[in-house]
Amino acid sequence: MRGYLAFLKKELMESTRTYKVFLMLVIFAVFGMMSPLIAKLTPQLIGSVVSAQMASAIPTPTAVDSWTQFYKNVAQMGLVILVIVFSGVLANELTKGTLVNVVTKGLSRALVIAAKLTSMALIWTVSLALAFAMAWIYTSYLFGADELPHLGVAVLLLWIFGLFVLSLLMCAASLSTNNYMILLITGAVLVIGLLAGILPPAYHYNPLSLASQNMPLITGAITLSDIGPAIAITVALTAGLVTGAILIFRRRLL
Amino acid sequence: MNGIGEYVPFLIPLIIAQLVLMVVAIIHIVRHPHYRFGNMVVWIIVVAAIGFIGPVVYFVFGRDRDE
Amino acid sequence: MTVLEIDHIDKAFGAHKVLDAMTMEVPEHCVFGFVGQNGAGKTTTMKIALGLLKADHGVVRVCGEKVTYGNSTTNRHVGYLPDVPEFYGYMRPMEYLRLCGEITGLPRSQITARGSELLEMVGLAGVKRRIGGFSRGMKQRMGIAQALLNQPDLVICDEPTSALDPIGRKEVLDILASLRDRTTVVFSTHVLSDVERICDRVAILHRGTIALTGTIAEIKEQHRHHGFVVECATPSDLARLAAAEELGAAGISHTSQGTTMVVTITQTPTGDTRSMATDLAGVTGRNGLTRRPTIPPADPAPTPSPPDQFGGQLLLHALTRLNITPIRFEQMEPTLESLFTEVVR
Repeated sequence: MRGYLAFLKKELMESTRTYKVFLMLVIFAVFGMMSPLIAKLTPQLIGSVVSAQMASAIPTPTAVDSWTQFYKNVAQMGLVILVIVFSGVLANELTKGTLVNVVTKGLSRALVIAAKLTSMALIWTVSLALAFAMAWIYTSYLFGADELPHLGVAVLLLWIFGLFVLSLLMCAASLSTNNYMILLITGAVLVIGLLAGILPPAYHYNPLSLASQNMPLITGAITLSDIGPAIAITVALTAGLVTGAILIFRRRLL
Repeated sequence: MNGIGEYVPFLIPLIIAQLVLMVVAIIHIVRHPHYRFGNMVVWIIVVAAIGFIGPVVYFVFGRDRDE
Repeated sequence: MTVLEIDHIDKAFGAHKVLDAMTMEVPEHCVFGFVGQNGAGKTTTMKIALGLLKADHGVVRVCGEKVTYGNSTTNRHVGYLPDVPEFYGYMRPMEYLRLCGEITGLPRSQITARGSELLEMVGLAGVKRRIGGFSRGMKQRMGIAQALLNQPDLVICDEPTSALDPIGRKEVLDILASLRDRTTVVFSTHVLSDVERICDRVAILHRGTIALTGTIAEIKEQHRHHGFVVECATPSDLARLAAAEELGAAGISHTSQGTTMVVTITQTPTGDTRSMATDLAGVTGRNGLTRRPTIPPADPAPTPSPPDQFGGQLLLHALTRLNITPIRFEQMEPTLESLFTEVVR
């Protein structure tokens, strides 16, 4: 336990000193502020280039548009940045050989993976919370406090999806020491999910629904039970990927 | 035009955050002139021109690991 | 007590057999040089001993405990210094030692105390810089500090000096030599002068097995070439010496180059050689030498005199008789280098 905490501390120190925390916090804060502003200012921006009567045809933006922007930015760009920032989480150590010392000093490989996942999950949680808080503040000021009941659940799903992506990344990272290969594997799996999304009924089961069905959930177009199977599958896959990462990493040469 | 002017208080934090991201990356590029690939000019252009991804790519892939 | 015991280890990478029934023992409190050519399997052996690689067959014991691949508990007895130790570049020395200490489970107070003591010892006390900016020598010394943190019974160093400049090398060797009292050091190298400088025991790894092992003194004694080097002031002196009858005796051969002669005694002093010495004494007598030769004609003692002494006396005798004063006269010492080339050939 002490080894795990020591290594977790090291992971957080690493993320701080190699600017990962900085990048994540600033970028996610920007997403949080940017999304409501884009929603709010879109009519004005369009109005400055087209005629007044065409501009008046554009509906007045609402809080729903603000959150649509938010989920678009965070679920796409945000997750891409999350994956890129942490793509070297294991590869950097394996190519440099820094883990040899740690493992020969008695830290089990499972705990190495666990500590790394914990650290990434913590940074993801804080970043997403920051983005959500900024978006919430901006949306209330710019659009008034509309009651959107499923806001919390929707962001929770995105959070779970982020954890799934991190465990996928970790599993890929235990397979390859090449940064680009890891990005490729992670990307390929997500693209398969996207392609599955072409078949509309698949959304009930597709883990990607946790990052794409947030708005329908907020607007009430679907209910939580519609994507219940997808949530269960995502959680199960996450657990499976973490186990897989540990098992693969155990057999790896350091 | 009841335009963009009234949103300036909302825009300022956003612009500051974006600037901080860029400036921190540029300072790092200038102060640590060893990169895994590329050179100073290329990295400054990348960071200044490509919104979020520029600084991310620099810090994740371009920065020398030992610095 | 045997700290490290390697018992018939086999290891192959694909079709390439690196270790073949390799067996080696390292006793307590010594500095053990583990010598072999590049690619001989030194690193492989060490990684197996650390549980970082799996042996195909055989057993490795550290302090009597069997090493298992993966999460080896024997590593609590071991400090490891990789050939090019890599640390987290963003950490400061003490931060790194604290991480190591916490992983090993040292009490907090002990980490600080031992950490600063070790940094003092390796000359990194007061260095506030991050490790990323360290020179190779500093990293190697940092590596020694982290290897000693848990007071290991065995320190395994993989080519600790190979990447260093002469000053860095001297610093690291001095530190390793100073560890003799507190722990056992095994270090691999292909630099024989390093071994000669600090090791008391050595093992030579060749073709996957230990070709030669023992204390340096033992090995040198076993492989002593019985012979002498004589350097004369002028070539004519040397020519006269070369023509001396003593050197024509059976079991003695010599080669000359410039003013230097190497005399090799190939025959051990059996009864025959002793009678040869007696014969020689007769020879000198006939040549009209007034003094009696120093070699006793028939030694009554049951133990025969060693060949060196016998041959040396013979040579000295010839020099005296011919009135030649050599500018150099020395007994041949086997160097580790000559032993190594002999074994590896």
